[in-house]
Amino acid sequence: MSIETLRICGIIILLAPFCGAVIAGGLGPIMLRGRSHWPAILGVAGAFAAAVVVFTQLYGHGTEELSAQIPVYQWIIDGAGSAFKVEFLIDPLTSVMLLTVTGVSLLVVIYSRDYMREHGKPERGYERFFAFLALFVFAMCALVLGGNFLLLYLGWEAVGLCSYLLIGFYYSRPAAAAAAKKAFLVNRVGDFGFGLGILLIYLSFGTLEYAAVFDMVQSGVLASGDPLTNGRVTTIALLLLCGACGKSAQLPLHVWLPDAMEGPSPVSALIHAATMVTAGVFMVARCGAIFTASSTAMAAVAAIGATTALFAATIALVQTDMKRILAYSTISQLGYMFLGVGVYAADSAIFHLFTHAFFKALLFLGAGSVMHAMGGIIDVRQFGGLRKLLPWTFVTFVVGSLALAGFPMLSGFFSKDEIIHHALVAHPLLGIIGLVTALLTAFYTFRMVFLAFFGDERVPEGVHPHESGGWMLFPLCVLSVGAIFAGYLGVEATGRGFHHFLTPVFETTFVAMNPAHAGSHEVAHPGFWEHYGLMILSGGLAIIGILVAYIIYVKRPWLSGLAKASAPDAYQTLWNKYYVDEFYDEALVEPARKTGRFCVGLDDYLIDGLIWLVTAVPRGIALVLRTMHNGAMQSYALSMTAGITIIVLLVFWS
Amino acid sequence: MSADSYLAPLAPELILLIGAGVVLLAGLMQSGRRGPWVSMLALLVVLLAFVTALRQSVPDGQAAVLGLWLTPLTFYTRCIALGIGALIVLINWYQPVTEERGEYMAMILLSLLGVLLTASANDLVVLFFAIELVSIPTYVLIALSQTDQRASEASVKYFFLGAMAAAVLAYGLSFLYGVAGTTTIHTVTEGVATSTLPSGPDIGGLALVGVLLVFGGLAFKVAAVPFHVYAPDVYEGAASPVTGMLGFVPKLAGFIALIKIFSACNWDLPVVVWWIIWIVAAATMTAGNVLALLQRNVKRMLAYSSIAHTGYMLIAILVGPVAGQGPMHDGVTALLFYIAIYGAMNLGAFALLTAFRSQGRPVETLEDIAGLAVRAPLATLAFAICVFSLMGFPPTAGFLGKVYIFSSAFSLDQPHPFHGPLIALAIIGVVNSAIAAAYYLRIVSAAYIGAEVDWPVRTGGIPVRLGLALCAIPMLIVFVWPAGLAGEAQSAAALVNRSIQPQSTQVTSLAGQEGREAIPTGFNAQDRPQSESHPPGDSTGSKTQH
Repeated sequence: MSIETLRICGIIILLAPFCGAVIAGGLGPIMLRGRSHWPAILGVAGAFAAAVVVFTQLYGHGTEELSAQIPVYQWIIDGAGSAFKVEFLIDPLTSVMLLTVTGVSLLVVIYSRDYMREHGKPERGYERFFAFLALFVFAMCALVLGGNFLLLYLGWEAVGLCSYLLIGFYYSRPAAAAAAKKAFLVNRVGDFGFGLGILLIYLSFGTLEYAAVFDMVQSGVLASGDPLTNGRVTTIALLLLCGACGKSAQLPLHVWLPDAMEGPSPVSALIHAATMVTAGVFMVARCGAIFTASSTAMAAVAAIGATTALFAATIALVQTDMKRILAYSTISQLGYMFLGVGVYAADSAIFHLFTHAFFKALLFLGAGSVMHAMGGIIDVRQFGGLRKLLPWTFVTFVVGSLALAGFPMLSGFFSKDEIIHHALVAHPLLGIIGLVTALLTAFYTFRMVFLAFFGDERVPEGVHPHESGGWMLFPLCVLSVGAIFAGYLGVEATGRGFHHFLTPVFETTFVAMNPAHAGSHEVAHPGFWEHYGLMILSGGLAIIGILVAYIIYVKRPWLSGLAKASAPDAYQTLWNKYYVDEFYDEALVEPARKTGRFCVGLDDYLIDGLIWLVTAVPRGIALVLRTMHNGAMQSYALSMTAGITIIVLLVFWS
Repeated sequence: MSADSYLAPLAPELILLIGAGVVLLAGLMQSGRRGPWVSMLALLVVLLAFVTALRQSVPDGQAAVLGLWLTPLTFYTRCIALGIGALIVLINWYQPVTEERGEYMAMILLSLLGVLLTASANDLVVLFFAIELVSIPTYVLIALSQTDQRASEASVKYFFLGAMAAAVLAYGLSFLYGVAGTTTIHTVTEGVATSTLPSGPDIGGLALVGVLLVFGGLAFKVAAVPFHVYAPDVYEGAASPVTGMLGFVPKLAGFIALIKIFSACNWDLPVVVWWIIWIVAAATMTAGNVLALLQRNVKRMLAYSSIAHTGYMLIAILVGPVAGQGPMHDGVTALLFYIAIYGAMNLGAFALLTAFRSQGRPVETLEDIAGLAVRAPLATLAFAICVFSLMGFPPTAGFLGKVYIFSSAFSLDQPHPFHGPLIALAIIGVVNSAIAAAYYLRIVSAAYIGAEVDWPVRTGGIPVRLGLALCAIPMLIVFVWPAGLAGEAQSAAALVNRSIQPQSTQVTSLAGQEGREAIPTGFNAQDRPQSESHPPGDSTGSKTQH
């Protein structure tokens, strides 16, 4: 691999989407208008091409040094010699993330070309949409490529900003505006912790560079030479985790993601399913040195992940809005990824991130296609039996659903299975939670499929459903292929697969620190039943889930009403998402509002009064001066003379 | 030494001087026709001077001729003055509406010439004349810029108050001359240095009076409290493009002169003097921001905001040069970095006010610019970038400028008497930035979400819009890649350090390195090495070999 090539590729990956965004945003309103998607498509395609080059540079180099810290230029120069640099860290982890991000982005941008049109005419804000989308790709790539915590933080905040702008894309709709605000504020909570964590890293280690920080963590010394206490490293890890929970919508900061579905469907697919929300998982994997140094933090990651996975899956059981079901499913799958990282199986977590990007983007785009056909309606109670009307969408959607459900031999099956396997080894309880969640996942996914596509053909009134055009179907087909086959990359029969490529990154962190094989670098090869038994079990669970859903929603539709009637309390609790939103409203939002109102009162009466008083003094002086002198200029001269006199006198009387 | 070797380093100044004459004549010839070619000529002159200045090698501080001393500071000041000067010409392209465009453009060129001379002045008399050369053309510019009574009134006010400030400045300089017995700034350094005593009616006291009076005179140029009183009236009275210039050009000259005068004192004055500047800085930023909050007139708001920015820059003056440190820890570097950014962002804000008319007059109030984003999305975006930069909001250069200034306040070490007060001042500065955000955001929100009352009419042609764009784009570029500008500022500041430490060898010595290391960090007279030397060259250049 050549450093120079990697540097140029890194720069292209950042600049191409950025230029696309600037051109789409700058020229879009003036001359491009309905063609504003071109700069975005070309920019993202350029980034994807460069990401492929990066991958070919890294792939197949055996035991060679696979990690390159590549400085680009110095950003803020600190006098003491250190500087905040713009630099890349390129290793297999970066490469996998780049491919995922730019690849899915490219498909989503292509899809959006038709989606953002009504009857062939571009929607209002067409160019704004593509400018933001390209800007998001830039920010996400900066987050992934960055070689230090500063760039990570910049990218982190920038993707948050893009997410905010795109959730609120239809800003004239109150629900969208409120959802954007909610996403922004909830992320503030997480990012506050994240920012504190980075500050603490800087205070502790005197640098923000990944390599330097991780070296110091592993050698256990601070910049000052003092030993690094366990308490401090745990604090840092937990603060970073706080940011990850916000960005990746983990408990207790998950509330923003379902609401974020107010944004256009391509945005949900790209930002709120495939890429941005996985930034938390990426960050924890990237900072493996810090997290693995604290067993407390690792336990917290695993526990949060498993709890979130189960929690969100149960809510998804009863929702009726397709995009919301998918949103809860995303939260649940992200929980799996956290669980994977938390049980020292970071490579499996990243693998799941990779496969999940395919099938979840596919599902969201499919849901978008349904929504497009249904004239903006996405509630499964209002339509049904669409499989004849939307054949392509139906087929691809089912593929995505099978992958999500963990149906044997599809991508989700492989990656999820790995995580459950590692979880069972590390903490059997968490593993069992993972298995239960897998069953629930299969059930709620196919509940949605059966409600939307099977049964009697029903469409909302006044809607003339039509299959989407080629711009939308092409990405669906590509993603379907990915959803089916991406999992085979992880099958290590060839010894050249996904894990082989990725594991060197975690050699000194997740692999070495894993208590399961206490320091030994050799992963114990499980026996037939340990390995295939689990595969059979989880595959069986997926099939059971699908069958149950089939029976309840297709064969015996009255059963669903019975379930609802037999446990109304449980149903209501799930329907209302465990009342978390209501709880936050009561416990946090209302008190904050009251404080706000109190402060406004304070401002209106106390502060304004004070300001009036304060300004009254100069006003009074001015008044006196005006009456003393016949014209403003003399009073100005007087005040200047008085000033200089007072200054000179002060010096000599002091 | 031949005339060539004297004059060649002064090529940018000479180009401006000759160019001003040509533009003046050209303006007379074009009576009757009002084509924009006089403006074009002026722009060419500035660009020619700019390119010449860029192409000259950075002076090494050896050439000292005619009371001028060419240093990297000269180079830096030339470049930013001429670079932003070109933007000033662009924004003033269609000014004035009457036929005196030749005179008008010539005045702009002469004012820029004053800044250039200030940057290289090594003599108290030259310094004084240079500073006045900055100011006098601006009086004319204000009067010419608008035909209404407000402009005349502003011009007269500015003239009389400026004359008074000039008197104070001259008076202060005469004290310095009296103490040192010479007008060469470097010799003054020694004269002041040997005589600076904490207080008392001795010769040190007289030097102190001199420095304080000079500070007073220059405080007028930079619009610091309590010498700022003229600013809102004058800035409001002048046409917007002139106001954009007034907010920058005299301020640049004033701060460069302050750097020179404090260098002449080795940045080594009694603590009470620094306390006075501390109070002035705090009062300036607070007064500027609080008063701006009460305004609804955008122009007046920006006028007060430019006062507030003076306050921020005074923080950097207080920190002064810190030996061998980068922009985050050196006051002079931070100041030089900030003032370049400030010039562009401030000008950009005024450029928008130039580019549109509403209800038959240039846009001025929040109501006038309400909803402008719908009508002119790109111009409003550029304007918003400049305003966000003024606010100090990432990702704009103004953010980095503030970072440098505020972090430089932390660079004096713990036992230093001004360690605590400077940190307190930085905190006051940060609080002030927050206050300032309120009115800056009000401007931006008016432009973006205000309901338009009356469609503003586009007046500025391509040059004005180009000027606006060229103010805004560098704000983003410098944020992404600040090292270029910061590096230049750092090398410019390096010789400020060296200049306060005259070399102990003969005229041609190059002793830069050891000079930089031996720099006192200011304030403490005791450990400042006494030297018997003089700087390379003196006021007349007569001692240099022929």
